Amino acid sequence: MDQLSQPGAPTPSTQPKNWLVESILVTIFCCLPFGIVGIIYASKVNSEWAAGRFAEAETASKEAGKWTKIGFFVGLGVLVLYLILYFIMGVALFSGAARFNN
Amino acid sequence: MRLTGNFIALIVFAAAAVIYFIFNPAVTSFFPNCPFYSLTGFYCPGCGSQRAIHQLLHGNIIAASGYNVLLVLSLPVLLYAMMATVYKTVKGTYGKWDLIYKPWFPKAVLIVVLSFWLLRNLPFYPFTLLAPHN
Repeated sequence: MDQLSQPGAPTPSTQPKNWLVESILVTIFCCLPFGIVGIIYASKVNSEWAAGRFAEAETASKEAGKWTKIGFFVGLGVLVLYLILYFIMGVALFSGAARFNN
Repeated sequence: MRLTGNFIALIVFAAAAVIYFIFNPAVTSFFPNCPFYSLTGFYCPGCGSQRAIHQLLHGNIIAASGYNVLLVLSLPVLLYAMMATVYKTVKGTYGKWDLIYKPWFPKAVLIVVLSFWLLRNLPFYPFTLLAPHN
């Protein structure tokens, strides 16, 4: 890992994706701390890249992506579970009420 | 494959927009509450977003800001990021549209988000204006 960023190694031309926008979206819409971890790694991508540590920037990019995706899918999972429970309870209440009326 | 994924994402996005336009989460029960708020009793940086989106879709920026001002403030940033992506797709480089990739910018975002998280939980004026309210 370290060898890649030593002087003399070829300079990659484009900065790795920093996932900042996705992290912000996860933070604002998912209300989970994973988005904030994503923002921290986004910051690391930019600063490592600016310091010329390209391999470290690449690693930070992977971490940023990982935490942002975890946040997104945990949020999605919670939403799906919630909706399933909501409709199961709704159906149970509805059929319960129907029995009561009969 | 990628196109199919984008197409599905677009349909889900459009469906969500319709649902959030029609139903007001402030008065409808089937929208999920924030897990963080439910567990701790403290607001997270995203609390009020669903109610804010409903208001935004109806053009009420002031009401949306009352529920989550961070969401409203993030819109110009998201718009900028979209335009930067378009620029990069066309030109092959971000050129001057590289704010998202400046070392200071994510740090500033982090400070704003963490401050907002802390301050909106303070139970006295003027910070109560940051907590979700009508």
